[in-house]
Amino acid sequence: MSVNRRRFLKKSLWGMTATLGAPVSGILQKFDRSDDTEPVAPEGLVIDTNVHISEWPFRDLKYSETSAMVDKLRKHGIREAWTGSYDALFHKNIDSVNARLAEACQQEGEGLLVPFGTVNPRWPDWKEDLRRCDEAYGMPGIRLYPGYQNYTLELPEFAELLKEASGRGMVVQIAIDQEDERMQHPRVEIPAVDVSPLPAVLESVPDVTVQLLNPFRHVRGDNLESVIKETDVLFDISNLDGNGGLERIMAGNHWYLGSTPIPSARLLMGSHVPFRPVENVLFKLMESALDEEDAAAIMSGNAARMLRTA
Amino acid sequence: MSHSDYSFTVDPAALGLPSRDELVDMRIWDSHYHGTGSHEEIVKYIKRMGIERVISLDIGGGVTSEDPERDKRHRSLLKEWRKLLSGITRIDPGYPHKSLKKMERWIRNGPCIGIKYSGLIELDVTCDHPNSDPIIELAEELGAVIYIHTWIKVGGNPRYAGGGNYTGESTPMDVAKLAERFPDVQMICGHQGGDWELGIRAIRPHENVLLEFSGALPTSGAVDLAVNELGTDRLVWGGHGPSRSYANELSKVYDADLSDEERMKIFGTNYRRLAAPIMREKGYSVKI
Repeated sequence: MSVNRRRFLKKSLWGMTATLGAPVSGILQKFDRSDDTEPVAPEGLVIDTNVHISEWPFRDLKYSETSAMVDKLRKHGIREAWTGSYDALFHKNIDSVNARLAEACQQEGEGLLVPFGTVNPRWPDWKEDLRRCDEAYGMPGIRLYPGYQNYTLELPEFAELLKEASGRGMVVQIAIDQEDERMQHPRVEIPAVDVSPLPAVLESVPDVTVQLLNPFRHVRGDNLESVIKETDVLFDISNLDGNGGLERIMAGNHWYLGSTPIPSARLLMGSHVPFRPVENVLFKLMESALDEEDAAAIMSGNAARMLRTA
Repeated sequence: MSHSDYSFTVDPAALGLPSRDELVDMRIWDSHYHGTGSHEEIVKYIKRMGIERVISLDIGGGVTSEDPERDKRHRSLLKEWRKLLSGITRIDPGYPHKSLKKMERWIRNGPCIGIKYSGLIELDVTCDHPNSDPIIELAEELGAVIYIHTWIKVGGNPRYAGGGNYTGESTPMDVAKLAERFPDVQMICGHQGGDWELGIRAIRPHENVLLEFSGALPTSGAVDLAVNELGTDRLVWGGHGPSRSYANELSKVYDADLSDEERMKIFGTNYRRLAAPIMREKGYSVKI
């Protein structure tokens, strides 16, 4: 099966035009308690960079059925969802996982779902998996799960993978965790990804576009500061918590995430659906006071730019 | 660009979210507020998200920490922000006599409306210990709200659910034991034990136990399970700010398949029913 990658990119570039090229006031508006105007962009405002399909191994999730999840995302203004597969966590036949992911994204959602396959650099023939993600399935990026796939970012093949992905113009997402480690099944013990080696690794691969998924429970303090200051890595805000978390992380006065500001250009919407409610990431846009430029960048502009420049 | 507290750059309706007016209509009471140290800074988020009242769980600090200046500040906060802020005070079953004295000072003769069993317990004494009996008896006499922090953290060797808890940190299973001894006393099982699939089932048989579910990242379907097992009358809502966001905690309720009337129960009606008698004794006008 072959998926036309241009199809996914075209949709993403549409998003870029909508958020960067077109007047921002066309999609965003000042909205106050007395304003009862209709939604301004029923086609969807948001590029969600953190969605999965298939079965979470430990629970029957409410929106695990892809069609139900797509309906839910559309209802909440998501126009594009970068989608991985939960099968990537434990399956060894990675190519089969990726092929099914690509097929599902083509069959469901009418272009909403953009497949992000996985590659496990620990396992043999991973370069062929990467090639197929790019050339056979038309994926604009890959999603790595080092905690589940059991390697650290010091693994030499990880740096090699970044180089290969960069050479192919593919975005690389690194999932820091999937669930609160305090609630894991007693028979499994999945560590959060330690990002401390990442700045040094990225020095040797300066052109790769890297995004961290679910970063803020574990990437904190000195680690967060060095990733912010020494790299161009982007962050999804799926687990950015704390009152007014979004405005405060941009101002460098978050309650517990340190004093180094993260500019809006490095923040991306990510819902972690279907594990988490999509409302979580959307309410963050309401709880924080954002200006139009920052909101547009976070909601879709940065994501669209990533695919354009990767 | 400057923003007023009540304006939003993005239309919530375009994101499938309730408007601020709709949140206000929910009459949301945040039963889990940790913001006394930065209250003036947090108020803008409380108001922006349409929260009607917050209940601090930190009034008067811990049982063994003497700090007259802090106590004075807390009393002043409660007085100044009376229309928005209420408070309960921490007790510790490891120190039952000190706990009783603290309840007399802060509840019978003070502004607080309830007690909290904290998660940071000095001794290995969980809420189900016999030391709790006089504490619960006094709370019942005062009509005080009873909130019990609970978690079920995986850990230990071999690993098991609860094996990673702090010393003295209660689980929902401990709450169930306590509730069985006091079937006529209502109490809140805080944080739904974190591991909600286990926590909800642990308290299910005990009708006098309500569930509060703040303090962890949201999981889709969790409130649906709580409603199915416990019913909407046994759920109360907390915000857990400032370390948690209102986004985080509101999403748990809006993820669930509920009517507006059911949401209102969870967001505030249930807590108001619990707290109204003691609040009215202290001069609050509480409309359920």
